[in-house]
Amino acid sequence: MNGTATKLEKDRRAYWAMVLPSFLIYLFVFGFPIVLAIVLSLSNYSGGKMFGGTPWRITGFQQYLRLFTDPYFWNALKNNIYIVLISVFGQLPLGFVFAYLIYRKTVRFEAFWQGVLYVPAMISTIVVGILWSIIFSPYGPIADTANHYYADTYSAKISGIVQATGGLSNPDALTDQIIKASPKTIHTVFSDPAVDLKDFLLSYDPSDTATLEKDIVNLLAPRWNADFLSKNNIAMIPICFVTLWMWVGTYLLIFLANMQKIDRSIIEAAQIDGASETQIMGRVVLPSLSKVIANSAILCISGSLSGFALILAMTGGGPARVTQVLSIYMYDKAFMGAPDYPLANAIAIMIVLFSLLLVALMFALERRFGGKE
Amino acid sequence: MKKKICSVLVFLVILSMGAYAQKTTITVFDYIDATAPGYAENEAIWQKFIDENPDITLVKEELSNEPFHQKLAAYVAAGTLPDVIYMYPSGRSTALHEQKLVKDLAPLLGKDFLSNFIPSVTDPSGQKGKYLAELPQSITYTTVMFTNTKLLSDLGLKVPSTYAELKAMAPKLKAKGIRPVLMANKDDWVMQSCLFSTIVGRMLGDEWIDNALAGKVKFTDKDFVKALEFVQTMYKDGVIGRDTIQISYGEAPALFAEGKAAFFIDGDWRQNAFLTDASSGKALIDPKLQQTDFGFYNFPAIPGEKNPGVASAVLGCGYGISASIPAGSDKEKAAVRLLKYLYSADVQRQYLELGRYITSRKDVKSDKLEPFTMKMVQYHDSVPKTCYVLDGALDTSIYTPLNLGLQQIGLGTKTPEEVAQSIQAAVDAWRAAHK
Repeated sequence: MNGTATKLEKDRRAYWAMVLPSFLIYLFVFGFPIVLAIVLSLSNYSGGKMFGGTPWRITGFQQYLRLFTDPYFWNALKNNIYIVLISVFGQLPLGFVFAYLIYRKTVRFEAFWQGVLYVPAMISTIVVGILWSIIFSPYGPIADTANHYYADTYSAKISGIVQATGGLSNPDALTDQIIKASPKTIHTVFSDPAVDLKDFLLSYDPSDTATLEKDIVNLLAPRWNADFLSKNNIAMIPICFVTLWMWVGTYLLIFLANMQKIDRSIIEAAQIDGASETQIMGRVVLPSLSKVIANSAILCISGSLSGFALILAMTGGGPARVTQVLSIYMYDKAFMGAPDYPLANAIAIMIVLFSLLLVALMFALERRFGGKE
Repeated sequence: MKKKICSVLVFLVILSMGAYAQKTTITVFDYIDATAPGYAENEAIWQKFIDENPDITLVKEELSNEPFHQKLAAYVAAGTLPDVIYMYPSGRSTALHEQKLVKDLAPLLGKDFLSNFIPSVTDPSGQKGKYLAELPQSITYTTVMFTNTKLLSDLGLKVPSTYAELKAMAPKLKAKGIRPVLMANKDDWVMQSCLFSTIVGRMLGDEWIDNALAGKVKFTDKDFVKALEFVQTMYKDGVIGRDTIQISYGEAPALFAEGKAAFFIDGDWRQNAFLTDASSGKALIDPKLQQTDFGFYNFPAIPGEKNPGVASAVLGCGYGISASIPAGSDKEKAAVRLLKYLYSADVQRQYLELGRYITSRKDVKSDKLEPFTMKMVQYHDSVPKTCYVLDGALDTSIYTPLNLGLQQIGLGTKTPEEVAQSIQAAVDAWRAAHK
């Protein structure tokens, strides 16, 4: 008995001797920053030396109260929720479907598609952000194409009007017709279009209708400012699109690798029983991958909540914070303008809590609806 | 023989160790855009100091714009400030001043040395901490209307002297595919620093800002709301396009140089972007064209202005020395030697020639200036009176909602009244915290 007790004691010592160094390193590397972040979020620390500098003290939950009454916090949280939603309900289903198509060889050149879809994830996030911000900019190819189309269409109208009215030989009719053919923005150019536009038209040489037409198009043609990265209600759409474009390939690889582990004989048995491709996907492959999907969802959620570089490169969280997410909001409070370390730490803690909440929800859903591998 | 060689080697090792031990290392955090013209020349200036001071090792880190400020904030947070820091007299360097993280340069540089500079830059009252935390290299005028005079004359237009004239020329310019006024409003400080400060200076004056901070008037008062409304009017009139909110600070000079805008509003430092880069020999605007086709003007008269011709200006940036360096140490002496070199007449002349700024040193003259630099000197002389740059006069917690609000006015998502309320709320909170 004594011998057994001694052996157990020895085992315990050996166990602690092996575990303790790693445990201490873990505590130092992970535990300490988390505890420090919690402490700072409850303090009035204003920077500088923590000990021996400006005195600071624990002030309670003031920072959290400030957060909950700050509309920019809720705006950042809302934007984060959009990204979580597009990640969980966009990246995962698309990644799964593409993986399935490649796995079942429904498409040809599987390796090519696999590569094409994964390439965005291999490019530096900052490069991707800058690339797409150029594409979406007011001088980008999308805005350019749209504005060329608008200008051409408007130009055709103006040419028709100039011909029909006889140009500057009949300035009243010309003015009237141009006003009718122009967008409402004409009122931002001329406070009284009927008078001011007529005066403007009369400043041109009547014989030079080509210049007149060209200038009228420059001045009054409908123009799209490509403001989708600056409008409050739509600015997150391009960012969600780029997020989707960038990460689908990663989940494709994860799902494909796990699909390749499924016993082929199960699928063959389902085929012999007359199962369609949709049924094989929904009733054989999907349940087999439920744990992988749950784990991927956790990756998605944590990635979406801590995602920083892409939005920083695309918009910097602006303009006027319309595309700000929690991580940029935190960075903003810590390093931009007036550093507010307690508030920044409170935001960090909120990000962690929100992630834990979503991950718990994901586990609950997996337990309730997930299949057994 | 072997013994002799060994002895010599040992002697050399000891000698080199001794030499190494005498070297003083100073870390420098500098603000410079490596893509801007004159970068190679700037590096040569620093290299000369390194060559002339073999007993000092310089470890230099360079950043510009937001990354610079953010890294500096990280250094402050971590308590690992470099020994010599490029900094502002207030604004984004407020923490350095208020926490006294940098030394008072007055006793370190000495009266004799400081007497070479114009008195206003050595006056400590102009700096946030009310001591000479940095030696301003210049007086910075933050509102300059860079004007393409050739483009205007081709269209039969003149440089506007009133806002009404500026507004009236907008259709003529737009008809030729030219935007009237270009600003890089994607960075939220630009509108506040480079235009709104002047608008407030013209319509209200510095005294009004002092009174607002003292609680005698409020930012929600009609007068201030009117100043915000003027910004809204410029957007509504199409004088400034709403798409400028998507134009980044880096891309604006090229657009202006390409003739995409008749006017470009920015600070005086921006002339540097158009000058000849000596290493490549290229300029965004050719010096000949700088002379003939462009001019620098004050913003035209604003309806309802009380202080005509006023333009915003602030003490310029400069270098400070970390307070963590022990007094009287070799490191402190090395840092002072570096500063005296950087502020020497020779180096300041080179910076003037590079178009970095109009130096605050009184004894610097040069006949090698590009037209834009000479025109900027003339512009400085033409401004009758200066006013606050708001991010230099207001606390960060107050100008942050102002910067944000000016963008929101541009986007049309907030009214001037709403922006004024958010600023006043920040003032109330700031006053409560500083009671």
